[in-house]
Amino acid sequence: MVEATESKILETIKSNFLQDIEEAEVLRPKRISITVKSEKIVDVARFLKEKLNFDYLLSVSAVDYIKENRFQIIYYVLSSKNKIVLLLRTNIPRDKPSVPSLISVWEAVDYHERETWEMFGIVFEGHPNLTRLLLPEDWEGGHPLRKDFKLSSSEGV
Amino acid sequence: MRISWGPQHPMSGQVRILIDTDGERVLNIIPDIGFTHRGIEKILENRNVVQGIVPIERMVMVDTANIALSYVRAAEEILGIEPPKRAQYIRVILCEVCRILSHLYGFGLAAEACGGYPAVFLWTTADREPFLDLMERITGTRWSYSFFVPGGVYADFPDKIKEKFLATLDYFEQRLEAYRRAWFENKIFEARAKNVGILKPEDALRLGAAGPNLRGSGVALDVRKDEPYEAYDEIDFKVVTRPEGDSYARLMIRYLEMVESVKILRQAIENMPSGPYRKFVSPLRRLPKGEAYTRVETARGEIGVHMISDGGTKPYRVKIVSPTLRNLYVVSQMPKISEVLLADVPVILYSFDPWYLDADR
Repeated sequence: MVEATESKILETIKSNFLQDIEEAEVLRPKRISITVKSEKIVDVARFLKEKLNFDYLLSVSAVDYIKENRFQIIYYVLSSKNKIVLLLRTNIPRDKPSVPSLISVWEAVDYHERETWEMFGIVFEGHPNLTRLLLPEDWEGGHPLRKDFKLSSSEGV
Repeated sequence: MRISWGPQHPMSGQVRILIDTDGERVLNIIPDIGFTHRGIEKILENRNVVQGIVPIERMVMVDTANIALSYVRAAEEILGIEPPKRAQYIRVILCEVCRILSHLYGFGLAAEACGGYPAVFLWTTADREPFLDLMERITGTRWSYSFFVPGGVYADFPDKIKEKFLATLDYFEQRLEAYRRAWFENKIFEARAKNVGILKPEDALRLGAAGPNLRGSGVALDVRKDEPYEAYDEIDFKVVTRPEGDSYARLMIRYLEMVESVKILRQAIENMPSGPYRKFVSPLRRLPKGEAYTRVETARGEIGVHMISDGGTKPYRVKIVSPTLRNLYVVSQMPKISEVLLADVPVILYSFDPWYLDADR
């Protein structure tokens, strides 16, 4: 059963960003997923935060769809009022991995965008301090969470 | 002046904390994490779901039940399985015992960080023992249980230990009373922790504080209530909050949560239904194409596991949303939102109960 709040939120987003939403669905109760065009992500994020109360940022991550030559970036945001988690996604070409940073909207993306940058090599434009978070400072092995990065042990498993 | 503390240091965990100071005043706290980065997310892409349970538990060894639960639930959601009722109760029992174990450990460390309380750490360590013994009877091991599997739990709950379990809870309640007198009515502890590191509710949400640290600032977010999983919707408990938002309040929350956990455990033991404890799911079974984002309230706050499957036996991608990573970001911003003195840094840091392996993954 999809609750009324989720569909209402979805409708509000759709009606405000008709041209910019590529996909929008309620995954299950308390989970909304929307996919937006990467150039509009800051506007959509600001709308989510200011108008729909998605005020608590959980994390940022990416998925490497190497066969389709794209990265998908996912922002996980919680509404402290409705307790709904929204997955804000955008797709970018794998050979030009760059997307506007959302640090002006949710300050807490700081560490998570840095982690996504070092793990996938995705540049977050406008992030003031895109430096290594988890990997060693002198790391030269590439981006570990990309699908073409092979673990030395992964062959045998 | 910049002070570099760690990665070898007398407290628990591997981390380097850089502290910029101007005299006694702290200008910046910069947690340098990653010393225990094992690439768990990458490892999980190369394991099937059952093989993945062991690596993901290495995130937080003191709280393995809650961590494993988030992962197992994600797999169950993709597979479309719901575990039997009895398994759900057993899971709640393990999760709440882990919460107590974790809070005891974090509490002991925080008391150490406040200075002059070696006795408290020894007390909490000793009081973990009866619970570890119970865990050994239920799961066969004292730490890192790997006890939750998709479809239920690995073995049945031995009903003959119910009496011993309830007796342990009685004992622990007496101990909680002793802790209250020893800590929360202690003048030194009050002087060290009260009004230190104040985090206002709006800042807690903006910066992304997790779990008990959020509730210590008066924000009543708790996944167990907001989105009840397993048997939590059949159990009566409170989400405890404190309005002050200082280090004392954050530690108080952990104490009050242990009181609530004892209540939850009593109900779970007494109301546990009989019946099967596991639906067998083959470890070699393919995950259907799909995705699941599951949330579980661990001792350090909400963990999220986003599992994406492309139809193979191994997940295509597993994202772990770590609570400690968010908490450390809040710690790094503390000098900007309240006055921090050098002597307050350990108190503030350990009032957030950081577990660096959780942040590193």
